[in-house]
Amino acid sequence: MSMHRITVNVNGATEVVDVPANMTLLLMLREKLALTGTKNGCASGECGACTVLLNGEPVNSCMVLAVECDGAEVVTVEGLSSDHQLDPIQQAFIDAGAVQCGFCIPGMLISSRALLDRNPKPSEYDIREALVGNLCRCTGYRRIIDAVQKSAQMERAPGD
Amino acid sequence: MSITPHPGLPEFDYIKPGSLAEASQFLAEHAGEARLFSGGTDVFVRMRDGLWTEKYLVDVKALEGMNEIAFDLSSGLTVGAAVNMNRVAAFPAVKEFYPLLEDAIRTVASYQLRSRATIIGNICNASPAGDTVGACLVLDAVLKVHGVDGFREEALNSFFLGPGKTVLKPGDIVTSIRFPIPPAGYAAKYIKLGRNAIGDLAIVGVTVLGYPDASAASGYRFRIALASVAPVPLRPVKAEELLASRQILPETLEEASILAMDASSPIDDVRSGARYRKLMVRNLTLKALKIVWDKIH
Amino acid sequence: MEKQKTLSEELPRPIGQSVPRIDALEKVSGMATFADDIQFGPGLLFARAKRSPHPHAIIKKIDVSKAEKLPGVRAVVTGADYPGLTGLYLADRRIFATDRVRYVGDPVAAVAATSEEIAEKALELIDVEYEILPGVFDPVYGASPEAPLVHPDLDKYAVVNFIFPEPGTNISNHFKLRKGDVDAAWKECAAIVERTYRVPHVQHVPIEPHIAIAKVDEKGKITLWSSSQSPFAQRNLIAKALGVSHADIEVIAPYVGGGFGSKAGLSVEALAVAVAMKVRGRPVKMRLTREEEFFTAFVRQGLVAKFKIGCDKNGKLLAMENQLYWDAGAYTEYGVNVTRAGGYSSTGPYYVPNLRNDSYCVYTNHPVGGPMRGFGMPELHAGLEQCIDELAHEIKMDPVQFRLLNCVKEGDEILTGMRMHPTGLSQCIEKAAQAIEWGKKSPPSAPNKRRGKGLAIMWKAPAMPPNAGSSAWVELNEDGTATLGLGGQEIGQGTFTVMAQMVAGALGIPYENVRIAKPVDTDYSPYEWQTVASRLTWSMGNAVVAAARDARKQVLDLVAEAWGENPEDLDIINGHVVSYKSEETISLKDIVVYGLPKPGDQGWRGGPIVGRGNFMPTYVTGLDAETGQGPRAVVHYTTGAQAVEVEVDLDTGRVEVLRGVAVFDVGRAINPDLVKCQMEGGFVQGMSTALFESLKLKEGIPQNPSFVDYRIATTADIPTEVKAMYVEVPQDDGPWGARGVGEHPMVPTIPAIANAIYDAIGVRPGSPPFSSEKIYLTMLEAGIVG
Repeated sequence: MSMHRITVNVNGATEVVDVPANMTLLLMLREKLALTGTKNGCASGECGACTVLLNGEPVNSCMVLAVECDGAEVVTVEGLSSDHQLDPIQQAFIDAGAVQCGFCIPGMLISSRALLDRNPKPSEYDIREALVGNLCRCTGYRRIIDAVQKSAQMERAPGD
Repeated sequence: MSITPHPGLPEFDYIKPGSLAEASQFLAEHAGEARLFSGGTDVFVRMRDGLWTEKYLVDVKALEGMNEIAFDLSSGLTVGAAVNMNRVAAFPAVKEFYPLLEDAIRTVASYQLRSRATIIGNICNASPAGDTVGACLVLDAVLKVHGVDGFREEALNSFFLGPGKTVLKPGDIVTSIRFPIPPAGYAAKYIKLGRNAIGDLAIVGVTVLGYPDASAASGYRFRIALASVAPVPLRPVKAEELLASRQILPETLEEASILAMDASSPIDDVRSGARYRKLMVRNLTLKALKIVWDKIH
Repeated sequence: MEKQKTLSEELPRPIGQSVPRIDALEKVSGMATFADDIQFGPGLLFARAKRSPHPHAIIKKIDVSKAEKLPGVRAVVTGADYPGLTGLYLADRRIFATDRVRYVGDPVAAVAATSEEIAEKALELIDVEYEILPGVFDPVYGASPEAPLVHPDLDKYAVVNFIFPEPGTNISNHFKLRKGDVDAAWKECAAIVERTYRVPHVQHVPIEPHIAIAKVDEKGKITLWSSSQSPFAQRNLIAKALGVSHADIEVIAPYVGGGFGSKAGLSVEALAVAVAMKVRGRPVKMRLTREEEFFTAFVRQGLVAKFKIGCDKNGKLLAMENQLYWDAGAYTEYGVNVTRAGGYSSTGPYYVPNLRNDSYCVYTNHPVGGPMRGFGMPELHAGLEQCIDELAHEIKMDPVQFRLLNCVKEGDEILTGMRMHPTGLSQCIEKAAQAIEWGKKSPPSAPNKRRGKGLAIMWKAPAMPPNAGSSAWVELNEDGTATLGLGGQEIGQGTFTVMAQMVAGALGIPYENVRIAKPVDTDYSPYEWQTVASRLTWSMGNAVVAAARDARKQVLDLVAEAWGENPEDLDIINGHVVSYKSEETISLKDIVVYGLPKPGDQGWRGGPIVGRGNFMPTYVTGLDAETGQGPRAVVHYTTGAQAVEVEVDLDTGRVEVLRGVAVFDVGRAINPDLVKCQMEGGFVQGMSTALFESLKLKEGIPQNPSFVDYRIATTADIPTEVKAMYVEVPQDDGPWGARGVGEHPMVPTIPAIANAIYDAIGVRPGSPPFSSEKIYLTMLEAGIVG
């Protein structure tokens, strides 16, 4: 099996990692870089617990090979906050009571962040559509959708 | 044999060829041992299942022409094979000239999967359930293929041989898909029935495209494509012929829907029963026909 | 200074307040540690289990020699290494199948290797020779004399004294309920409904799959890290199975990424420990793939329920004759109690004077049925509440009025002879009906749609042994903050938050000053039976309050002595001891660890303050084996109602839940928002099982063990709103009157939706799930669509 040395920017830091061809981005993050915020829920691209940003786009990291990420930029839940300041979407989730067991939350946050970055004024349907690939068994989703909507409102400049 | 898929991917070598010529040659030389991939969303799932066991996975994403999406008023829309579905859906010319494509794409899986999945991948996978395949069929899309003998074109309506089987040969790489300019005054609709409200595989998928055509006895032509109700994506020809030959009245649309239903041969599987699928072909074809008809006349 | 009202008169802050979750920040920042996140270093080994591909077969031979030789493999274990039986209520299960396998997925061996890949490869090198046996795939058949026996040695299994197996059969528990004179009562009935409902298997689908890491040191001390709802029960079961002292087993339980019952009892942990015992000194991690998660740990058992229910001309329920056949699976060590709970709740929340109900736990060659949110109640109510609805319609009575007439009220002698305690069930029904605007039909959104409303009610008691206990300690820190030691698990329900609130309220310090000693660790955390049964707020809450009050008493006694005052005149408010008499105050800082100096430098008094408390119900009685009667079957029932409005698409049969209402009597909402969160989440989980879910089993083989074909509700499927409300009729022995509500919100959802579908299209949808296909074909058959 081929081994590959890749250079990847993760949460703003350049990492040089040796990975086997069959290692997914998810396993590289969790096992090589100890970034365990991103979760392994199904290894099939169905549950969204492994969602990260790859060159700005949300992807299921269990469906991406680490070797495909050579030269890429990856953002995980750990990279959402900066200088110990939470991203508005993280604070919105806390305020809305959108967190229960917490296992789906990293993926939800990444998908939500990506949605608001590409669509700052999402409708209810837009939010549902953007998060349909993030499964949650605890919350029933309503507060998650409300958190995204609230964060969108907070993030828009006054007067929008 | 394992009773469930393995936790991770099997071992393989990752190959990233520098050119199409190199890629086609490698694939042909290692036929049966090498598989190309772009988004990987189907490949990785099947490899974890133990269904596909190739020694070499060949990444074709960065090859010539694979990453471009372009539109012009003579040749239409050309989408490179590695352009992910989200990118296609967001392309301005798609929204303006091929809204059916955006609608079909948005029914696929999830936003995350669409960041990796490609239309070409959907096509080459040759699953009868492919959501974008119907749109490609009714839009008369043409595939550009690079093989050991160089480039050629493949028509889509003769492309599928059976579930998971296409006319492609070892060494073939689909590099792009071209959608010609659709007929003037056309409208189209994709209706997908899944178990969840959105995001599921298609239990039944109906794509209808219609446009005014003076050469047709009825004054209109319709193209219909059905997903998940036959071994390959299905064009119910008798239904299309009826709509071209008979005056379009509510009864015509109903009769065409029944012909579409009769043309389909769905199976019972873990997702749905054949009887329900057939009835849904009828109901959803009628619904789509009505929507399109309302727009074009 | 005015004496603050005593705890019983007014709620102390922050009881009754929706304070933010204590674990929210950790979870949104990705820092919350789950079991798979714990770093074990390069010495970590991985384990995988070899599982039976057959539902029922004799194991003729297992050859592990090739697997042992694969480079990277460190150990291979089989049932020969661990022949002992284990089980929570009935010891019918081994860690590995030894003589025969009883379900597809039954583990027969396990491998530890230096990587998960190598362990997986090694499984292919284990040769197992099977002799296929005929299988049992239906519980009614399984209970009949024709069926082959899944457990021929049933009579030899150890069993607790409230479970009644029938040796020589596949019935591992038969709960009987006999009351009044059913045969005479039928004659008085003006209407009788007789129906059979089949509730399919479903699975909990926690987003975090099962995982356990075990390490056994050279002396034989076992350390187990697990995504676990039951660290103490796991310690106990492992101790008994392996003959190890409880003191030599440490179970460490971090945050759980969803449990819903699947992570109670013992499943993957036993395998991990068994493998680790052979690989002394190195930690061994075993995690289930999602596909394995669907059927190799616990599932919710299927149920075939036969109902016969009758009422008089005024709509008063007179009699029920219900038979519940639980498709409990290959091992019923846990499932036997589901059968019992189903039995002693088998009338539903109604007063019914004449009963002949039987609840059978039947062995089948299906996946192992275990505890799932509701513990038999969703399965029971799925059909029961549809029958009630049907009966109401037969007697031409409004279904809400019918329920108000017949629902249990305080003082009613319920099915086991127990007197019903105060309950707000009637209020819940009224509030739910009002909130859904019962009786008002709103127009459909399109000509091809039909709208309808439905309501269903429920009850459930914590299903546990009569002596399930809780304990807690509260340690005060130098700066006046408090650390709470508890044995219950945070599985998303918010228990850490609520317990911190209780400490704050009972002690008199700010909520922000309370910390939980985590992760729960059986070495230092106090005993807790299990995090199940919606029992923590009530039971562990009592222990926590007792511990906080004990700490408070120690502080007040100390300060009173130092001040020469009566402790009755002192209080702790916002982290300060205050005297109502002298108006002296002193901060808790320092004194709770260092004590107070005696005057004149003559020494010290006091010392580090640690409060302790426990709670165990003392009043639950046994039930007669023949009649199911007894003075006190359960600790209490939580009751509630749900109402929904649905819209059915006539073209596709799709059922859309437009809105839902949930009202439950929680006794006291310690944290109102968290209570509502349980109701919202439970509604959607219930709705998901109503519309989508079924683990399809064909000749015992799961057909859809993956997210691709086992669909659960997504953001796209939820209603516009789930209005969650609660009623507070206090629980006499709950902390500030609180009662649990974790499971109850998914219990009445299937029948509420079913009843709404009936209201919409005039035909009963029958057994769940109410897929588009099922509803369309039902309408086709009834001539509603053509």
